Amino acid sequence: MNKEDLIAFEEEIKELFEAGQIRAPIHLSVGSEDKLIEIFREIREQDWVFSTHRSHYHALLKGIPAEWVKNEILAGRSMHLNNKEYRFMTSSIVGGCLPIAVGVALAIKRRYLNEKVWVFIGDMASTTGMCHECMLFASGRELPITFVIENNKFSVNTPTDRAWGIGKYLGDCRILDYERKYPHSGAGKFVTF
Amino acid sequence: MRWLASQEHTLFLGQGVRYSGHAMFGTLEDAEVPVEKRYEMPVAEDMQMGISIGLALQGYIPVSIYPRMDFLIIAINQLVNHLDKMEEMSHGEYKPKVIIRTAVGGKEPLDGGIQHTSDYTEGLEKLLNNVDVVKLEKPGAILNAYKWALSNDNSTILVEMTGLYNA
Repeated sequence: MNKEDLIAFEEEIKELFEAGQIRAPIHLSVGSEDKLIEIFREIREQDWVFSTHRSHYHALLKGIPAEWVKNEILAGRSMHLNNKEYRFMTSSIVGGCLPIAVGVALAIKRRYLNEKVWVFIGDMASTTGMCHECMLFASGRELPITFVIENNKFSVNTPTDRAWGIGKYLGDCRILDYERKYPHSGAGKFVTF
Repeated sequence: MRWLASQEHTLFLGQGVRYSGHAMFGTLEDAEVPVEKRYEMPVAEDMQMGISIGLALQGYIPVSIYPRMDFLIIAINQLVNHLDKMEEMSHGEYKPKVIIRTAVGGKEPLDGGIQHTSDYTEGLEKLLNNVDVVKLEKPGAILNAYKWALSNDNSTILVEMTGLYNA
């Protein structure tokens, strides 16, 4: 999928959401396409991708058919796009996938498999104790895992740098800065959940 | 533990599985659980639970060890939000199976006090819908309980009583 395809997909989801056809929360991307496409060039079919509540782009770039992703979103599972065939997992708990991803990487190393784990997290998740523990463990044990921090500078509407200040990261970690187009969840009009 | 270790896909992880420090270490040593099947973990209980889930996703059956139930409480996030809900939240795509070994600390000959002797069995039963909780109150029941846990489709928490270790 190219940049235009990704944006068009999110625009369609936005329209479906605003038309009331999706009766569950959605978390749209837009703004991070170029950097994500570059990262996903390194991600192979046999690799695992662990994502977050904002996972549409990750799923599409992992190669999951857009129709499947759209149907899952229409079924109310935007925050839980999980597909075993494509080795794709999400969680809507902030940082929830982190240690699970580390466990998969530990198994890959134990079995000498030609696989790798990529785990995507937001900027606030990257400041949690869990993230620190996972980076420390993965780095120390030399596990086949890369952490990608998607930094839109907000956790919901809390500015991460004001709440914490950003520190140093350990291990194989990439920071992907982008400006968000859409609010944290939904498409602009406030709908509570 | 000897029988459990002889099963092909089992791995043992926790603090004090390769280095001494608590009674469960002795049960692994006595059973001659191979060291290559043991992962010594840092004090990071919730991470340990998540790593156990990840290992299970790759086909292993982790025996995740928390020497006190009080310590297992620190892993409630991964236990309740992921292990218990994984099948439902993944729409049946993933169903990791983890055996969790924990214990209620004894009060004899030493009383560990309020933070080392708590029994949260009932509380866990209320929190969990898909992880079974089994309390082991008789030494003779332990082997069959672990055999059942291994054959159980669900993940299982086995609650031992350290006061019975010398029974």
